[in-house]
Amino acid sequence: MDIEVITEDGFGEESYRNLFVEIMSDVGKAFQIDKALLVLKPEVPLFIFSVRLRAEPSNKTIAGVASVRKEGDALYITITDERYAPDILRELWARYGKGSVEQQTRFDIIVKGDVSETDMESVIIASGEEYLKEIIGAVWRSMPEGIKNRHAFIEGQVITVVATEERFERHMLDEGEGYHKKMMEAVKDV
Amino acid sequence: MFEVLMYDGGVYRSEELFELVEDMGGTIIQKTRSSQILTVTMSIPEEDKTAIIDFCKEIGGEVKSVPLAGTEIAVVGPTLGRHHMPHPICDIAEHLRRQGAITVVMGLARGRGKLTSQISLEEKMIIDEYDAAIFSLGNFKPCVEAKADLFSDIKVPVVLVSGPMPEGAEDKCEAIVAGVGRKASRMRTPPEREKLDEMVDKVGKVLNDKKALLEEDPLFVHPAEIKQLLEEYEPVNMCLRPAPVVLHLDGLRVKVGYQEHHEAIENMEIYGRKIGEICRLSPSKINDSSIIVRIKTRSEVLQEVPGREGADDT
Repeated sequence: MDIEVITEDGFGEESYRNLFVEIMSDVGKAFQIDKALLVLKPEVPLFIFSVRLRAEPSNKTIAGVASVRKEGDALYITITDERYAPDILRELWARYGKGSVEQQTRFDIIVKGDVSETDMESVIIASGEEYLKEIIGAVWRSMPEGIKNRHAFIEGQVITVVATEERFERHMLDEGEGYHKKMMEAVKDV
Repeated sequence: MFEVLMYDGGVYRSEELFELVEDMGGTIIQKTRSSQILTVTMSIPEEDKTAIIDFCKEIGGEVKSVPLAGTEIAVVGPTLGRHHMPHPICDIAEHLRRQGAITVVMGLARGRGKLTSQISLEEKMIIDEYDAAIFSLGNFKPCVEAKADLFSDIKVPVVLVSGPMPEGAEDKCEAIVAGVGRKASRMRTPPEREKLDEMVDKVGKVLNDKKALLEEDPLFVHPAEIKQLLEEYEPVNMCLRPAPVVLHLDGLRVKVGYQEHHEAIENMEIYGRKIGEICRLSPSKINDSSIIVRIKTRSEVLQEVPGREGADDT
């Protein structure tokens, strides 16, 4: 994760760089962030945290994280991205019941019963909205506690949170939007 | 001269340790038992230190000097939210505890924010019940400087812990430890441990200054003497709360209800006087389940009791 910190506060720069990395690692989001831009203006107070994700948040289906094949009366699922194994199991248990779902190994699951391959592949196991909420939650967590008035710009892979303590002024949101666009342009360059 | 030591070990043969301390003329200041683990803070005559250390080693425990023993310190954060807890506030509290102090972690109700942080009168009165308070603030200089007003009216000595070194806060607190701001992980690296030690040194110095001030007009009795007396009082003896009697530099905190027990405690006698005559008892501001005992100074007692030596007969 590449982090850029813009501030005139000497102590705050280094400590917030470390805090951001530690908090994102704690909540398991560090590997999903490509670049982070932190603008710290405690004297205003105004904080702009902008993150560029490695991939655009979207609904994850079983087809995206596992391969599915039908053999006889059973459907065989082989997980290719283990991070989603708990989500797959949770969704399968909810839909078909624990009695019909058998996990043979870490990666292999058998679903018994009349289930079509296409239906199984289109099952949503993690929603993009939920993922977005988690990222925004992690960004809020890394901001100072008293900064409660927040506005988020979300576009494609870039999420920018502008936050202040009391009232938003036009220039604060404009500044936040400026940094958001800067991060968006960097996506296009990539 | 008495020396304060802390025993850290098991409960095995601990009764013998207590008897040994008593035989030597020392006192047990604090006794905390958690399952089979026992921590004992004791005050013993300096010349008997070696005997105590040898006995503690014999029963499989460790002994160390604890400069903050006999004090209760409040570690205060802007709130109890996850931004400030458990690091660094709990790290600070735990380190002070290892130096013998009883510590309490507090969060203000509305302490967050640079422009909106506040402290209420009730919170100030609660903090004033302790021997000293440590305020742990954040990483930004303008925020720390703005929040210095939070502790400007606190009567007990305050040590400010913050990231950057603030300007203009020197007059509002007794000491400042810079370099510890908001943290998301435990303070375990060598520079961080050094910072915690520096904090202990500064708190120790602040408390020594307070002790020196108290010695100018000494307390009528030492808090440990009242503690010994209170331990014979059944509701205190049977109290299941951890550390039912906590020593302060100028008194004690007794963890029994004020309404129910203050009269019985006031009528206890020590050196021919009732505790009510030589101490001020008040309910804790936290709630009614604790009593704050402030011991009067010798001059105060002599002045208040007519017919006694030094009393004001006019």
